[in-house]
Amino acid sequence: MADMVTIQRQMDLTFAEINYLIRLMYATEDEHTKNLTLNQMWNKIAHLQFLNQLLVAASFQQGQAAIPLQNSPQTMLPDSTNAPTANNQMEFTREQLAQFTGMNGQPAYVAVNGVVYDVTNNAAWSVATHFGLSAGRDLTQEFASCHTGQQWILDTLVPVGRLIA
Amino acid sequence: MSEHPVLPPESTDNESVAARLAREAKRQVAQGNLKKKKLVYLELNGCSGNIISLLNGSNPDFEYMITSMVDLLYSNSLMAAEGEQAVQRLFDLAAGDEEFILAVEGAVALKNNGMYHLVGKIGDRPVTGLEMAELLGKKATHVISVGACSVDGGPSAARPNLSQSVGLQGVLDRHIIKLPGCPVNPDWFLGTLAHLLMFGEPKLDDMNRPLMFYSTLIHDRCPRRPFFDQGIFAEKLGEPYCLFKVGCRGPVTRTDCPTRKWNDHVNWPIGASTCIGCAQFGFPDRMAPFISYDTTKE
Repeated sequence: MADMVTIQRQMDLTFAEINYLIRLMYATEDEHTKNLTLNQMWNKIAHLQFLNQLLVAASFQQGQAAIPLQNSPQTMLPDSTNAPTANNQMEFTREQLAQFTGMNGQPAYVAVNGVVYDVTNNAAWSVATHFGLSAGRDLTQEFASCHTGQQWILDTLVPVGRLIA
Repeated sequence: MSEHPVLPPESTDNESVAARLAREAKRQVAQGNLKKKKLVYLELNGCSGNIISLLNGSNPDFEYMITSMVDLLYSNSLMAAEGEQAVQRLFDLAAGDEEFILAVEGAVALKNNGMYHLVGKIGDRPVTGLEMAELLGKKATHVISVGACSVDGGPSAARPNLSQSVGLQGVLDRHIIKLPGCPVNPDWFLGTLAHLLMFGEPKLDDMNRPLMFYSTLIHDRCPRRPFFDQGIFAEKLGEPYCLFKVGCRGPVTRTDCPTRKWNDHVNWPIGASTCIGCAQFGFPDRMAPFISYDTTKE
């Protein structure tokens, strides 16, 4: 966890430096200084990118489901972090899964390849429907027919448990 | 002065790009580098909404299109000829050697061998849309599917699809440029046409949509996007927040609507209500519900 704090502090520092450079760009008239500043800015941004990747990697190592996707909007929402999602070893039967339709204030869950995912705040699941499919179901086949080989889609979702039987 | 003076960057807003394309086309036509091509605009099973939308175009507008860009050989809504005389024009085209671009609006009705949608009559013989789509589709140099119905059936093929309508590709085994949308923004059609005339086929994505109009996810350029990122959702229409919880399809629809807008670039669906995904394949059935108040919790 100490690593993460260090990275965060470095990032704040870099942001401050970039802001300073931007102000400098406005103030200076000299072509040479401008080019130099631009170059420095370039370096700072590259550094920021590196820190960002480091942050993602670090949080993956700690095995925290909520933090790795920090730049993805869906996990910034309060719900995905503190709903029953914390425990992704929860087990669902098909009947239990069928209750999470995303209607009546329920969260929206779908199952793919035996894993139950929370799509409540997933952008592609507006009002808990996705291209005519509704939540609360096992969509393994549907996923396979449209998203063959697109495992990354599943990696962006928040797992909440396993589907049993 | 050097031979290639360094000019300030040209404006890249939509109207300037469209105006530059139109100006360039005019110059090329005047120099004789560019010959006016012929355009056939075939309306099949649909509501004529795309032609209405086309008439609303600006920069370039419809008048400019028919006077300076193409010879419009056939459009059943807009041409002066009528009845058998008009239909005969289509058969002449199908039999002759004239080169033409074919734009098709509306779906192809298959039921009873196409009898659910007629283009006209020759003598007593009814001429079906199906027959014309096949005849002209084989013959054209380029085929453009204009609007949701022509692209994949759209509202004409929505449940229960009594006329057994399909998209143009369903009856035509050839390369088709697809412009989904219900209706198509006039710029999307006119821009694609202008590109065809001047530079050939525009770059297409893997579903044959021109990338210059269909590459942006609405959600990514939505003015309400910051509300989504912060998890602030509208609970009913009219609230200025993200409409995700009431059924917005912006996150699954790719068009440049957020920046191009409609009606002379004045407003667009999300300016007032949700996006209903009209430019996404599978519209309307797979984009339903358009609005729902029975929502998930935040």
